Amino acid sequence: MTELGAAEPQSPAAEESAVLRIEDLRTQFLAHGGIARAVDGVSYHVNRGETLGVVGESGCGKSVTALSVMRLVPDPPGRIVGGRVLLHGRDLLELDEPAMRRVRGNQIGMIFQEPMTSLNPVLTVGRQIEEVVELHQNLSARQAAERAVEMLRLVHIPEPQRRVREYPHQLSGGMRQRVMIAMALSCSPEVLIADEPTTALDVTIQAQILELIREMQERTGTAIVLITHDLGVVAETANRVVVMYAGKKVEEAPVMALFDAPLHPYTRGLMVSMPRLDSPAGQERGTLPEIPGMVPSLSALPEGCRFAPRCPLAAQQCREEPPLKEYAPGHFAACWRAGE
Amino acid sequence: MTAVTATGPVSPESLLPEPLLVVRDLHKHYPLSSGLMGQVKMTLRAVDGISFTLARGETLGLVGESGCGKSTAGKALMRLIEPTAGSVRLNGIEITRLSSRELHAQRRQMQAVFQDPYSSLNPKMTAGALVAEPLINFGLGDAAARQARVEDLFGRVGLRPADMAKYPHEFSGGQRQRLGIARALAPGPALVVGDEPVSALDVSVQAQVVNLLVRLQKEFGLAYLFIAHDLAVVRHISDRVAVMYLGRIVELAPTGALFAHPAHPYTQALLEAIPIPDPRRRRNRAVLRGEVPSPINPPTGCHFHPRCPIATERCRVDVPELRDLGAGHSAACHYAPAPPAATKEMPA
Repeated sequence: MTELGAAEPQSPAAEESAVLRIEDLRTQFLAHGGIARAVDGVSYHVNRGETLGVVGESGCGKSVTALSVMRLVPDPPGRIVGGRVLLHGRDLLELDEPAMRRVRGNQIGMIFQEPMTSLNPVLTVGRQIEEVVELHQNLSARQAAERAVEMLRLVHIPEPQRRVREYPHQLSGGMRQRVMIAMALSCSPEVLIADEPTTALDVTIQAQILELIREMQERTGTAIVLITHDLGVVAETANRVVVMYAGKKVEEAPVMALFDAPLHPYTRGLMVSMPRLDSPAGQERGTLPEIPGMVPSLSALPEGCRFAPRCPLAAQQCREEPPLKEYAPGHFAACWRAGE
Repeated sequence: MTAVTATGPVSPESLLPEPLLVVRDLHKHYPLSSGLMGQVKMTLRAVDGISFTLARGETLGLVGESGCGKSTAGKALMRLIEPTAGSVRLNGIEITRLSSRELHAQRRQMQAVFQDPYSSLNPKMTAGALVAEPLINFGLGDAAARQARVEDLFGRVGLRPADMAKYPHEFSGGQRQRLGIARALAPGPALVVGDEPVSALDVSVQAQVVNLLVRLQKEFGLAYLFIAHDLAVVRHISDRVAVMYLGRIVELAPTGALFAHPAHPYTQALLEAIPIPDPRRRRNRAVLRGEVPSPINPPTGCHFHPRCPIATERCRVDVPELRDLGAGHSAACHYAPAPPAATKEMPA
């Protein structure tokens, strides 16, 4: 647990340099007459030049947390009911909409799983990048056009002068994701939130896009929040990792510590239940360790620890909500029995 | 188009019992027209001559990236879409030439499980009725026998008897896939074609369904054609694996051999691209450049040559046949390394 890669800023001093800090964020949805606590008191931060991986399954709140940061939660039915989202210490939840609009795309960029849903189908990709930089950076039309070509070249799109004149449907999925990255980075944001950026892509294209994101980060020092369900992607890209389950952060750790010594039974369950390409030959076709049952409905959450009904270690104590406790420097878990 | 020998020479005269499924030179082409008045004729070669066999109780993984033709191949061999050419023999019966009535009778033997069972389940039918439906369609058993069969299947796939009265929307994704599996198994098939059957499931539920599929295979002696893009799942569940690229099988081998010694440069690149969930093994990988070309106008010679790190002039011209490298391992590459003992020259 002591060994950390050279590239990981992990001293308490480094924590001071958090670009984005989420504190006790609570976001709820009105659904079927009940309240779904999609994000229920989540805190995390990301430092300059760092990649924070946020892992969890569908419905764990990892994407809603990101949308809350961007203040893009549809209201109604959604509502941010508590907490703070601090960008360099300034609470974004206090900003009026015009001020928030200057933050979005300019200070915080975001890319999504399916670029087609966030690209405008009737505008050329060049025009879409131009709009962003014209809005945020006061560039002339000509400067903006040059910037669009430059951004496409930066994300390694071949023949950028020709591609700027094309429409999203003329591009492949991988190329569209490159355009999204170009657009998100066109104003040199301090934070890039990438929500399942490679989930819809084939593995060889995924490898290209992850390499591109890493390259862009080295070039710009952008803090990245990488949201994914894929532990492989996390292991390859993140410096620190937050694991979420049913609206809560259940574990947080430097990436080495998380994979070397996962503390929360949910994290452990996730790691052993997936078949691995690097498992020894001959172990194929055995029975995979299962996490029994399924993720609880957010409008009918169990009392106490939300993982308890599926947990092999659950005990009487787990009827009370476990606090997040630090077990090793930077390694937190919310489990009564994590130390055992 | 030459018949390729995916698993060694197979002659119809062979006295050995034929494998459950024998696919030979299967094609699925889509004619396209473009231009004014549609005068420009083009062909999309989704599946461009694939051959393989599948034994009873065996699992063959069919992998490749989107657009490689793996799903089309699965549908074409079941005649859910009509193949353009080629032969598909199930239990020695030529499927491609059956009338629709004869085909219906054979469908009992081959059933499919899809990625999203929701789209293939009638939302207005109860779960119990959905599993009973194929029994009624194939005229299997009387009402009492069907009821008993449905109850038995619910138990085997891990659904409760009370679930029989529920509608598809009342189930979670994992339960719905269990329901889709129960429905596929109802008529007692010998072959189940799974088209990305666990891809839409969350990681914690995926293991449950993978374990279920493995258990059911043993219980019923099922053969699986397991079509998927997730190579870790495929490695876990398959006896042999076929890798497709642009409509063709580029490599076919026993699972252990394929993952330990991939012979085709595309298979090597595909394995290299998969992130390993171990940060100590973070690596500077050789990322495969470029993207899969269009199957409408695929590259000449070896389809992979424009992206291949070891391609030569020959690869631009000659189509590499799938050739036997020994020990059931075959690859369609002019430069695939052959074990010395098994070196065998194929006619050009």
